[in-house]
Amino acid sequence: MKTIKVSFRVNDETVAFQVKPYETLLETLRERIDLIGSKEACGMGACGACTVIVDGIPLRSCLVLTPEVNGASITTVEGLAKDGNLHPLQEAFMEKGAVQCGFCTSGMIMTAKALLDRNKKPTQKEVIKTMSSNICRCTGYKKIVEAVEYAASRRTSAG
Amino acid sequence: MILPKFDYKKAEDIAAAIALYERSKGRACYLAGGTDLIPLLKLRLSEPSAMIDLKGIPQLKTISRKGNSLVIGPNVTLFELKNHETVKDYFPALYESLDATSCETLQMRGTIGGNILQNTRCLLYNKSLDWRTARGFCYKMGGETCNVVPNAAACFSNYCSDNALSLLSLSASVKLAGPEGERKIKLEKLFSKDGRNPFTLKPGEILTEFHIPFKRSTGAYEKLRVRNAIDYPLLGVAVSMIGGKGKVCVGGIGPAPLVYDLKDLSGAGLKEVAQQARQEARPVSNTTLSAGYRKKMVNVLTQRAIKRALKEGK
Ligand SMILES: Cc1cc2nc3c(=O)[nH]c(=O)nc-3n(C[C@H](O)[C@H](O)[C@H](O)COP(=O)(O)OP(=O)(O)OC[C@H]3O[C@@H](n4cnc5c(N)ncnc54)[C@H](O)[C@@H]3O)c2cc1C
Repeated sequence: MKTIKVSFRVNDETVAFQVKPYETLLETLRERIDLIGSKEACGMGACGACTVIVDGIPLRSCLVLTPEVNGASITTVEGLAKDGNLHPLQEAFMEKGAVQCGFCTSGMIMTAKALLDRNKKPTQKEVIKTMSSNICRCTGYKKIVEAVEYAASRRTSAG
Repeated sequence: MILPKFDYKKAEDIAAAIALYERSKGRACYLAGGTDLIPLLKLRLSEPSAMIDLKGIPQLKTISRKGNSLVIGPNVTLFELKNHETVKDYFPALYESLDATSCETLQMRGTIGGNILQNTRCLLYNKSLDWRTARGFCYKMGGETCNVVPNAAACFSNYCSDNALSLLSLSASVKLAGPEGERKIKLEKLFSKDGRNPFTLKPGEILTEFHIPFKRSTGAYEKLRVRNAIDYPLLGVAVSMIGGKGKVCVGGIGPAPLVYDLKDLSGAGLKEVAQQARQEARPVSNTTLSAGYRKKMVNVLTQRAIKRALKEGK
């Protein structure tokens, strides 16, 4: 099968590859660029551990073909920290104990980031609704919801 | 999980997509959000030669008013449609079914066209190739038997679109374009009632438009699932009412939705429709909930949806 030339921006850097037409975005990120923060758990779109943000929209990267994101702008969990400072969501997850085994965490944080990017001050109900896109088998969600609310409140109070 | 080998093509317009399909000699497959299709490919339930990506076709992404209809492009995502200004107001059953579909992240990728044309599902079908080979192929895999109901003459896989039910309750129709030209049919006519091949689409046909009569309705959608987040429906009931008349649609059981007219709005009238739906729904043991429970719940959710639709109307 012929490979396809694909170029996109990931965490503010432009990358270009010849990829297999049947390669998933998750495979490209993990295996070609070493961005292993996005995890493969179910591989079937059910769990959200592979969530990355593509042109502002959170996507399950295990269900996206790399040729589909040609020209897109992608943010992965590795792109959140700026100048050595963690993103407020990452800080909040640590502070609120919203991490246990950690496998779902990057997907959770990317889903939360996409929410806070489009809705600066979500209600608790909105946070719960959005975060229920992702599955966590350890924390029981309460601390995750707390962390997202905490990050949102810190962000708004900081302006 | 690794995908099988296929080629990838992006179509710029409908004619180009159809031409790509014809060139593949019928072995290619249209791709919208991929949230139904990609998992099926990973399980080797479909092995097309190429994906023809429809997402680059601008015409398929619009929502507009044409005459007395709201015209919705199939590539509009479930999330965009849910948040469209008219949907909550005019078509509450559709709003509720969109809101109850999978989860927010999948709603942002999944399209309304892909949602209606999603394949039917079965606990013994949506499995890996190894699992299915060990068990033996069923009707839907090209075999000669049903693995759920021994000696059954038909396939009992379930059609699990939430939004087909609300669109049916709103008397929607669809426009199709294919190698043989264009046609417009009532949404009801899209279903073949055969779980092996659930749609009456002709080879290479693309769904190009949904048309919903633009009349303010009241309505409700009730969904049965194990987890209230992410899961497919194990039973769904949509009801829409316009001017004292309504439509009730029951799905998630068997290969095609059941559709009923609601004319008698008395207590006895609704009970009768709910009872009829319960009688005609034929759940079998192919989901995580038992067939008996799902059958009972047809009656419960149908009455609940009708009552809510009527209450909203007041
Ligand atoms: C974990 C999970 C949970 C889910 N839960 C639900 C749920 O609760 N309810 C529900 O209804 N669905 C659910 N889904 C299924 C799916 O996400 C949705 O149905 C979605 O709307 C499918 O749209 P898509 O654009 O991703 O379709 P695709 O996967 O791109 O396409 C689906 C099918 O439609 C065909 N197709 C798409 N567009 C066209 C067109 N314009 N013309 C001709 N053929 C076309 C494709 O060839 C394919 O066969 C779930 C999926 C996952 C992974």
